[in-house]
Amino acid sequence: MDSAERIQAAAKFLLQSPPGEINDVLNDVRNIISDDDSLQEGVLPALQEYNLAQFIIADVPGSEHQSIISEAAKVDGEEDRFLDPRSKTSFRFDHLSLEASDPQPMEPDTEPEPFRAALESSTLTYLNSHFHEGVASVFATPGSPSKFTVQIVANKYNPTNFWAGRWRSAYTIDLEQEVVSGKILVNVHYYEQGNVQLETTHNLTIPLPPAITPSSPSTSAPKLVALIEDEEGKYQTSLNDAYTEMSEKTFKALRRALPLTRSKIDWDRVMGYKLGAELSASKGVFGESQ
Amino acid sequence: MTDLVDSMLDLMRRLPPTRVEENVAALVNICPDYADDLLGSVDQPLTLKTDRATGREYLACDYNRDGESYRSPWSNEYDPPLDDGTVPTPKLRQLEIKANEAFDTYREMYFEGGVSSVFLWDLDDGGFAGVVLFKKSLSPSATTEPSGSWDSIHVFEAAERGRQAHYKLTSTIMLELVTRSASSSSSNAEKQDNGNGKEGTKTSGDVSLSGSMTRQTEQDCPVQNQESHVTNMGRMIEEMEIKMRNLLQEVYFGKTRDVVYDLRSVESLERQRRQRELQKELVGFMKR
Repeated sequence: MDSAERIQAAAKFLLQSPPGEINDVLNDVRNIISDDDSLQEGVLPALQEYNLAQFIIADVPGSEHQSIISEAAKVDGEEDRFLDPRSKTSFRFDHLSLEASDPQPMEPDTEPEPFRAALESSTLTYLNSHFHEGVASVFATPGSPSKFTVQIVANKYNPTNFWAGRWRSAYTIDLEQEVVSGKILVNVHYYEQGNVQLETTHNLTIPLPPAITPSSPSTSAPKLVALIEDEEGKYQTSLNDAYTEMSEKTFKALRRALPLTRSKIDWDRVMGYKLGAELSASKGVFGESQ
Repeated sequence: MTDLVDSMLDLMRRLPPTRVEENVAALVNICPDYADDLLGSVDQPLTLKTDRATGREYLACDYNRDGESYRSPWSNEYDPPLDDGTVPTPKLRQLEIKANEAFDTYREMYFEGGVSSVFLWDLDDGGFAGVVLFKKSLSPSATTEPSGSWDSIHVFEAAERGRQAHYKLTSTIMLELVTRSASSSSSNAEKQDNGNGKEGTKTSGDVSLSGSMTRQTEQDCPVQNQESHVTNMGRMIEEMEIKMRNLLQEVYFGKTRDVVYDLRSVESLERQRRQRELQKELVGFMKR
């Protein structure tokens, strides 16, 4: 395997990192590849891809809140620069150290801003009432004033008890097409003397009721977020049902807790049966020969 | 450089269990010199093979592999055939045959289907070692029906000490469960009455729980004859699988679900906060 192929393999490992474990995976990969110079250069695109896809959060310089690093947050034409629409600030983000720097004020487009701001305010209220440690960002779409993106991420890392979890949801709201399309992704890793992972994907499309219009941000935004809240609540309940189904049906169908006899196996009898079967089989042979 | 193997094992403990085969293959390509260490310490899903002589299915893993060939526990033959493939001594092969019969009964009683295989090999110090394997898969008849698979790998060592034997058992169970769902609610659209004939909310998705857990145990048991090893191992493995099944139940359906609820609450946290405040006020009021 040549150096380029090794870096490519390393990049693939990084992209599979469970929530909050990218540094552990990176450490392992460093040891395995043992070529820091080409690794550092080579895996940067993978780290970037990972951070954007996983909605990694950044401490916005000069503000008290955090924002989401994602494709929607990317500032056009500038490498590694991301937007926090809430503070109207753009900043440089280091994909290795996960640090934000060099804040710059960024004026939003005036046309979509009232609706975006209303959507942001409703989203933050929703976030606060259902997520324990969530971060949300709401973006306008350059060039499409009736399109918005709502992104939510919640992480819990507990390495001392060997578990970690991440909830991501993302919605594209199209006021012109009157539709919200989105996805919810949940990842959980439990790794005490083992490696168990929950991975879920959930895609949804919700038609918008006529009461939601671009011209009435203050009444439309809460209604819109209420639709999302309702769908996410329903999803969490359905996830519970999936758990029950897997535990009550699939798990039991794979292996019983005890045999049909409701008692453990009598191993002397298991060996005895075989012995008995062999004896009667040989008797049969003798019987025929007589 | 055990350090390197440790890093590879740590990596395998973190990456998705559903991709263990692909990732082990990549690591072997990166560090071919450590292939044996890695293949010997990372458990991979068992594969099904069919014994050419008997037509019966058996399980293939690193323990019954010689080069590119796998030995069947039923005919003792390698596939593809090998002239000089490693086989147990005749005495141990007799025990292997009995163990395969006994654990096949166990398989039927607990798994009610699936495939089992037992492989034994002699150890240099006079004892012997072996692996007891079970695999059961559920293939759904419809895409929305749940699917799943269970792989047990029980590796043991037995050392005879007079009329006793000392057993060391390392058990790994790999479990995968997948549920797919799809729904579209037209009733919602009617209620919303959006008047433009648009369809209602549509959802689709899947839930996958997968992984492996490993546990170890040691035990001394009396040995009357060769067959005692089968009954001793049988009891130890049965005990271990019962314990691990409970553990899997707890981790898969308890712990991972708790983490989801640690991320998002179905109930409004705001309401809970207000209730707590109210309670505090009441307590303060009653104290006065």
